[in-house]
Amino acid sequence: MDDFLVIDHVTKSFGSHRAVDDVSLSVAQGEAFSLLGPSGCGKTTLLRMIAGFERPDSGRILVGGQDITTLPPEQRPVNTVFQNYALFPHLSVWENVAFGLRMSRRPREEIRSGVDRMLELVRLGEQARKRPAQLSGGQRQRVAIARALVNRPQVLLLDEPLAALDLKLRQHMLMELNTIHEQVGTTFIYVTHDQGEAMSLSDRIAVMNAGKVEQIDSPEHLYETPRSSFVATFIGDANFFTGTVVELQHEGYVRVMVEGLGSPLVLSNGTISSHQTLRLMVRPEKISLTLKRPLSGDRVNAFAGVVEDIAYFGSHTRYRIRAGEHHIIAQLQRSRFSGGEIAPERGAEVWMSFHPDEGRVVLLEDAA
Amino acid sequence: MSTDRQSSKQWLLTLPSLAWLGVFFVIPAILVIVTAFRPADLHGGVGAGWTMATVHEVSDPAYLPILWRTVWFSGVTTLVCLALSLPMAFQMARVGPLMRQVLLLLVVIPFLSNFLIRIFAWKSLLHPEGPLTRLLIWLHFIPEDAMLLNNAGAVLLVLIYTQLPFAILPLYAAAEKFDFGLLDAARDLGAGPWRSFSKVFVPGVWRGIVSAAVMVFVCSLGQYVIPQMVGGASDEMLGSKIAQRVFSDRNLPHASVLAAGLMLVVLVPMLIVAVWQRFGRKEAVS
Amino acid sequence: MRRSWLPSLITLAVIVFLFAPLVVLVANSFNASRFGGEWEGFTWNWYEKLWEADEVWESLWITVKIALSASFTAMILGTLAAYALHRFRSWLQDVHSLLITLPLVMPDILMGMSLLALFVLTGVETGLLTIWIAHVTFCLSFVTMVVLGRLQDFDFTLIDAARDLGATRVQALKKVLLPLLLPGVLAGGLLAFTLSIDDYVITFFVSGPGTTTLPLRVASMMKTSRSLPVINALSTLLIASTFILAALSFRLQRRA
Repeated sequence: MDDFLVIDHVTKSFGSHRAVDDVSLSVAQGEAFSLLGPSGCGKTTLLRMIAGFERPDSGRILVGGQDITTLPPEQRPVNTVFQNYALFPHLSVWENVAFGLRMSRRPREEIRSGVDRMLELVRLGEQARKRPAQLSGGQRQRVAIARALVNRPQVLLLDEPLAALDLKLRQHMLMELNTIHEQVGTTFIYVTHDQGEAMSLSDRIAVMNAGKVEQIDSPEHLYETPRSSFVATFIGDANFFTGTVVELQHEGYVRVMVEGLGSPLVLSNGTISSHQTLRLMVRPEKISLTLKRPLSGDRVNAFAGVVEDIAYFGSHTRYRIRAGEHHIIAQLQRSRFSGGEIAPERGAEVWMSFHPDEGRVVLLEDAA
Repeated sequence: MSTDRQSSKQWLLTLPSLAWLGVFFVIPAILVIVTAFRPADLHGGVGAGWTMATVHEVSDPAYLPILWRTVWFSGVTTLVCLALSLPMAFQMARVGPLMRQVLLLLVVIPFLSNFLIRIFAWKSLLHPEGPLTRLLIWLHFIPEDAMLLNNAGAVLLVLIYTQLPFAILPLYAAAEKFDFGLLDAARDLGAGPWRSFSKVFVPGVWRGIVSAAVMVFVCSLGQYVIPQMVGGASDEMLGSKIAQRVFSDRNLPHASVLAAGLMLVVLVPMLIVAVWQRFGRKEAVS
Repeated sequence: MRRSWLPSLITLAVIVFLFAPLVVLVANSFNASRFGGEWEGFTWNWYEKLWEADEVWESLWITVKIALSASFTAMILGTLAAYALHRFRSWLQDVHSLLITLPLVMPDILMGMSLLALFVLTGVETGLLTIWIAHVTFCLSFVTMVVLGRLQDFDFTLIDAARDLGATRVQALKKVLLPLLLPGVLAGGLLAFTLSIDDYVITFFVSGPGTTTLPLRVASMMKTSRSLPVINALSTLLIASTFILAALSFRLQRRA
C-alpha cells in the first residue's frame, strides 16, 4: 500500500491538555479518509496540523514523501474546505475561486480557464459574479470546494463539510462530494463528528477519542468488528454485557457467563483465556424477538425478558426490554412481526435471541 | 523564540496609543492632583513649593450646596433619562430592521449636532420672546410674566435633552441582544405587559441600564456650559466653579482642588460599578 | 399578541422632544423676526449676513484643519490600539483597555482642565498644536471602540483561508483583513471628525490667540444679541452637514 499522507507519531498539547496524543496513520493516494470522533477528540487539531495552522510538538507529517511538518500553510500542497466555508465576503464567487491562483502568480489566461472550468465542475458558472452573501448554503459549500480544488492540491481537507447544511441538502451534498471525489481523484480527508457522514463518504475511517486513534478500518469493519466499546457506541448502537469466560470452544467461539442472562456463546477476535472477565456487544438489529422460546439449537443464544418501552420509527421499531438487571435494546424491521405473530405490547413477555456470530467481544479487561 | 516575537509585536502595536494616552491623559490627570497642593502665582501660573492652603480654602462649607446641587441635578437627569430611554430602547429593538435604522439615525443626529447649537436652540425656545413661552402663555399654562429661562428647571431640562442619547444608545445596544421570545414566554405564563416588561425585559438589559446610568451621571457631573447659558446665578454646578477659577480668577491650584474633587465624585460610581461587575461575573461563573 | 401602545407613544414623544428645538431653530433661520417668537415672513437675510461674516468662515477653516488632522491621527492610533486589544490577552492589554475606556467617561471639563495644567506647567504655548493634541486624545477612544466592534465581527478563519490558498501573512492582511476592516476604520474616522468639529469645552481650555474654532466663535456670537439670527442660519447648515455625515457613516457601517 502506498503511504501518500503519513502522520508519524504526532503529538500536540495546549497547556497541560494533550489534544493529539502520539497519533500515527497513513492514507493512500486518491483515498477518501475520515477522521471521526466527538468534539474535543483532537480531530480538528490534527486537521489544522496537516493544513499548517498548528505545529506538532513532536512527530512528522509527510505528503508524497516530502516532510511538510514545519512548512507554513501557504507553502503546503494541501488545501482546506473550512467548516463555515470562510468565503471572502468582499470578493465575488469568481474572485474567491481565483484567489489561490492569483497568490501563486499564475498567468492570467491560466487563471481564467482554471476558474471557469472549476465553476463548471461545481455547476456554479451562472453565479460567478455574485457575492457569497447572495448564495444559498449548498452553493457556498460548492464555492469553497472549487476554491480549494482549483489549486490542484495533493490533499484536500474538509472540516465538517456538511455540518452547516440542513438535512435535505446534506443528503444531496453527500452524493455530490462522492461524485467530485471520483472526478478529481484527489486524496480527501474529512473531519466529522457524524458517523453516518463518515461511513457514506469514506473508504476508511479513523475513530478518534481523547487525542488517540481508537481504530482505523473500513466502514463495514468498524461496524461489524469494533475493537473497543467506544467505537462500538460511537458507530451505531450497541448492547453491552460484562461476563466471565466459562468455556473455550474451537474456531474462536467462547461461552461467557453473564449475570442474569445465562451463558451466551459468542465469537471472539483475540486470544482469550478461561475465567477472563470481558465485555460482549450485540447490535440492536441483530436481536430477534419472538413470543415463544425459539427452537434452540445449541448455537442460538436466547433469553426471556419483559417489554418496557416501544418506539416506532416507521422503517423500524425499537424495543427496550428488561431481563434481570439488564435493559436491552432490540430493533426490528416492521415486517418481522407480520408473519403470523402479533407484535408484543408494553409489559409483554418476549424471547430475545441472537446467533453466536452476531455477538462480539469488544474490550478485554484484566481478570481481577 | 516565537513568544519573543509575539511580545515585541504586541508592544509595537500597543505603544503608540498607550504612550499617547499616558502623556496626554494620565500625566495631566496626575498633574491636576499635584497642582492642588501648589500655591498660585500672580500671573495665572503655578508657584513653587507646597501648600495645603488651597485645600483648606475649598473645604469652606460654602462649596457644599454647589456639590450637593451638582449631584442632585445629575441624579435627576439620570433617572429621567433612564425612564424615557428604557421604553424607547424596548420599542427600537422590537420594530423591523428598516424602522430600527431610521429611529437610530433620528437619535444619533441630535446627538452628533453641535452641543452649543442644541443649548442655543433651547435658549431661544425658552426666551421670554421665544415661541415656547408665547405658546404656553397663549394656552394659559403659565402667567404672562413667567420666566422659563435662567432657573433650575431650565438647567435640568437642557441637561436631560443633551444627555438623553447617552442613555438611549447603550440601552438600545443591550435591548438589541435581548431575546424577545422571553417576553412571549412571560405573557404565556400569565404576566401582564407591565410585569413582563419589569420582571423580564429590565433584568435582561440590566448591564445596559448600568452603563447608561453611569454614562449619563458622570457626563452630567462635569457640565458647566448648560448652567452658565440657561441657568441663573443660583444654579451653578461644580464645573461652573472650575471654569470660573481657571478663566476669571486665573487660579489654577484652586481650580485643581475642585477638579480633583470632581474626579473623586466621578470615580466613585465607576468604581462601584467595576467592583459590582467583577463580583457579578464571578457569581455567574460559579 | 396585543402589544402595549405605551412604548411607541414614549418613543414618539422622545423623538419630538429631540427634534422640536432643532426644527424651530431651522425654521427661525428663515424667519424675518429677530427673536423668532412669531412668523414675520420668509427671508434669506440671515444667510446673507452669515455669508458676509468673514470671521465665521475663518473659524470654519481652522476647525476643519484641526478636525481633519486630529481624526486622521486618531484613526491610525485607534486602529492599531483596537488590533492590539483584540489580538492579545495580557496584563498589558488590561492596562491598555482601561486607558482607552477612561477618557470615554471622563467629563470634558476635567480633560480640558488637566490638559491645560500640562501645557501651563511644561510651558507649551496654547494654539493649533495644543488643540490638535487634545482632539486626538478624546477621539482616540471612540475610534478604537468602533474598530474594535468591527474586529469582533471579523471572522479570523478568513485569514487562515487566505494562507491556506497560498497567501503569506502580509498578503493575507492586505488582501483580506484590510479591505474588510476599512469601512469600520472610516466610520471611526468619521465619528472622530464629527466629535472634533463639535467640541467646545475642551477646545475652550486649550485654545490660544488666533485659534478660534467654530464652536468658540458660536459661543462668542451668542453673547451679542445682534448676531442671534445669524447663529440660526449657521446652525441650520451645521445640522444639515451632520445629517449628511451621519447618513454616510451609517452606510459605511452597514456595508459588508
